[in-house]
Amino acid sequence: MSQPATALDALDTLDALGPKGPYRSRHRLTVSDVTGAPMAELSLVPRLFVTRALAALRAAGTPPLEERLAALKRAGELFATGTVAGMTAAGYESAVCRMSGTPLANVRIAVEAIRLSATEAFRSVQAARPVGAVGDWRDPYARTGSAVWIRRGDVFAVHAAGNHPAVHALWLEALALGYRVAVRPSRREPLTPYRLVSALREAGFGPDQVVLLPTDHDAAGEILRGADLSMVYGGQEVIDRYAADPAVLPNGPGRSKILITADRDWRDHLDVVVDSVARHGGTACVNATAVLVEGDPAPVAEALAERLAALPSLPPHDEKAVLPVHPLEVARGFERHLRTKAAGARAWLGGDGVVDDLGDGSAALRPAVFQLDDPRDARLGVELSFPCVWVAPWTPTAGVAALRDSLVVTAITGDEALLDALLAEPSIKNLYIGDHPTHWIAPGIPHDAYLGEFLMRTKAVIRG
Amino acid sequence: MPTTPSLSVLDVPFDERPDPDEYIRAAMEWHFGPDTGSPFWLRRAASLDFDPRRDVKGVADLALFPNVTGELREVPVRDLIPQGYGADARIVGVFESGGTTGAPKRIVCLRDWLDRLTYGLSADLDGLGIPRGVDWLAIAPSGPHMVGEMVAGAAARHGGLMFRVDMDPRWVKKLISAGKTEETDAYVSHLVEQAAYVLRTQDIGVLMTTPPLLERLARHDDLIELIGRKVKGIMWGGAHMDADTRDLLRTEVFPDCELYGTYGNTMILGGATERLGLGPDEPCVFDPRTPFVTFSVVDPVSGEPVPYGERGQVVMNHVSKSCLLPNNLERDLAIRIPPPEGGVGDSVADVGPVAMFDDEVVIEGVY
Repeated sequence: MSQPATALDALDTLDALGPKGPYRSRHRLTVSDVTGAPMAELSLVPRLFVTRALAALRAAGTPPLEERLAALKRAGELFATGTVAGMTAAGYESAVCRMSGTPLANVRIAVEAIRLSATEAFRSVQAARPVGAVGDWRDPYARTGSAVWIRRGDVFAVHAAGNHPAVHALWLEALALGYRVAVRPSRREPLTPYRLVSALREAGFGPDQVVLLPTDHDAAGEILRGADLSMVYGGQEVIDRYAADPAVLPNGPGRSKILITADRDWRDHLDVVVDSVARHGGTACVNATAVLVEGDPAPVAEALAERLAALPSLPPHDEKAVLPVHPLEVARGFERHLRTKAAGARAWLGGDGVVDDLGDGSAALRPAVFQLDDPRDARLGVELSFPCVWVAPWTPTAGVAALRDSLVVTAITGDEALLDALLAEPSIKNLYIGDHPTHWIAPGIPHDAYLGEFLMRTKAVIRG
Repeated sequence: MPTTPSLSVLDVPFDERPDPDEYIRAAMEWHFGPDTGSPFWLRRAASLDFDPRRDVKGVADLALFPNVTGELREVPVRDLIPQGYGADARIVGVFESGGTTGAPKRIVCLRDWLDRLTYGLSADLDGLGIPRGVDWLAIAPSGPHMVGEMVAGAAARHGGLMFRVDMDPRWVKKLISAGKTEETDAYVSHLVEQAAYVLRTQDIGVLMTTPPLLERLARHDDLIELIGRKVKGIMWGGAHMDADTRDLLRTEVFPDCELYGTYGNTMILGGATERLGLGPDEPCVFDPRTPFVTFSVVDPVSGEPVPYGERGQVVMNHVSKSCLLPNNLERDLAIRIPPPEGGVGDSVADVGPVAMFDDEVVIEGVY
């Protein structure tokens, strides 16, 4: 595998994209690839720039719906296939996988997700509209009285994550709904939002409609303060910090789980379990963190370990790469954390470590499979950003409690009472019944409820 | 063998700069002369392992002194007044440090020093084209903090009346360190509201405040408009201002105002001021008024000067007739810059905390 060409030649500076156009600050951050080689200089904007940018978004109007949708569609195609800000689609894919360590194949999945979200934005957001609400006061239904679906504000801010480029698919819905959007990119992987915001601008969104505001920690809070509503990504501490703030939608750990009851033969579903753990390199919140098995979990863990052990360690830009790659020291940090957490658990895979040194300063994180004895063991919720899964026994006594706090539960069972209980449990956000991987997703289907439920509300309207 | 220097060099006219080494020697005679020195220094001299009148021959030798500023937390302030002033000592006030590094330190400010300081500030404002006779608004600490008195003195010398919005920096620091973000925010909003009353009703030509307050004022379009229409000069100090923010303030937010930075400190009884005439891509350089105030930028471990252009810790000396505070290692970090023509010691740029990034690995959760 040869090194990809110097894909960032035309882009070795990543400017902020402000309301008056690109902005190159004096305060810059060098963004490196996973081997430590510098790739780009990211302009970090000061707090005052954020204040001013958000004021400009607030002062701007919203283009008509048809214009927004057409521009979104164009932007999606441009992002996926075009040359944007001097960078080809292939150049972007190669650069972003070297920068983030996301396998090339996963980057392509993300690109398609972003294209689809842009193209299908209207259908997606309409799915969230309450059936009693119409989109405009001119709608005939409003004559005799109706709810009209309106925005809760005008400016939406996103503190984006860098774990997977596909996190940038979701906020496109806010643009479709008429929000002006400010994105603070992850400093580990700012390239995807840079390309996406650039594509949106080339496709017709004004610079006062969508901005890219890379900042250091000091100015990050100003983005939330200046926006009407915000979405942030982070660990449990982020969830806790914003739990009581109605203006912030936190996206935290997914802790997705699979449950297989005794009336089903786990051997028939091993493919789905393996896929749930390993797809996206294990870096998504929809990857399975835990597998609960009614009966002896050992054979499941053993089979899972055997299958996951076969995944190859490759540089991220290799066509066959499937595992996430990090700078060696970062990877060792994950490994140390895993060792601490897994102490006393039965190791089926990864007990000797998960770091596979690729010899160029980077390392692949290999899968780990650990068996726990108790479905109440808190480690079932330890979610790491590589294929790492905890396998534990489940009993009807353990019940739904063992599956709480999950973004997705895939329930492989014929027990309808149990399915009723899983559906009713509020801390289980999505329930997939039968042979569906935890990462299954489709346009128009909510991820963690519809974003539209957070961004919009209803207002009663009647006219003569 | 140098002869005993004439003490008159300590009283050079405000627009003259004395020979630095001759000036330092005269100051040693004054502060350690049994009839002229302060009780504090005469007492302290007994424990020094050198004789300041014999061994301190110039600015460089100030490094022989221990850092005594810690003693200013407890020493009776009357003991700080040089006896040589006799009954004529004209005291402006007793001032205190902000208490960032523990209990506040106290100094006594005498009239001759404040006059020299404000003369320099006013001359700089002339250089920037800020008219005399316009009125000032200071959103700044007053009370025990010297900056309020310094700005009031500068306003008066420049022919202005000064309106004040009082800021208690110790309370703000307490709120911030306790993580009371909302209370901090409410306090700052209170300051902005008070400033707005003055800006709306009075003809304010010069605004003095801190960079964070300037940013807060810039959240309000109506205040940006008011300031743009009325204010000719903005004097800032008391906190770090990064180059990008400075450029935005100059070019976008307040394009019709002259921005003038000071880097102040109670332990130098005033501030170093921004070097005028530098371009937008040059760093904001602060020149102390030497030889009264001198800086050196050193490696915090070895104590040796860092190379020009490198970052180090700032050592400050204040040597005037009214006060002696030599060799004070401050907590501030700055880039070492050669002094301007005729200056001694170092100038400083990019004062502030070390640039820090928080890209630590988030281990759990996938974001």
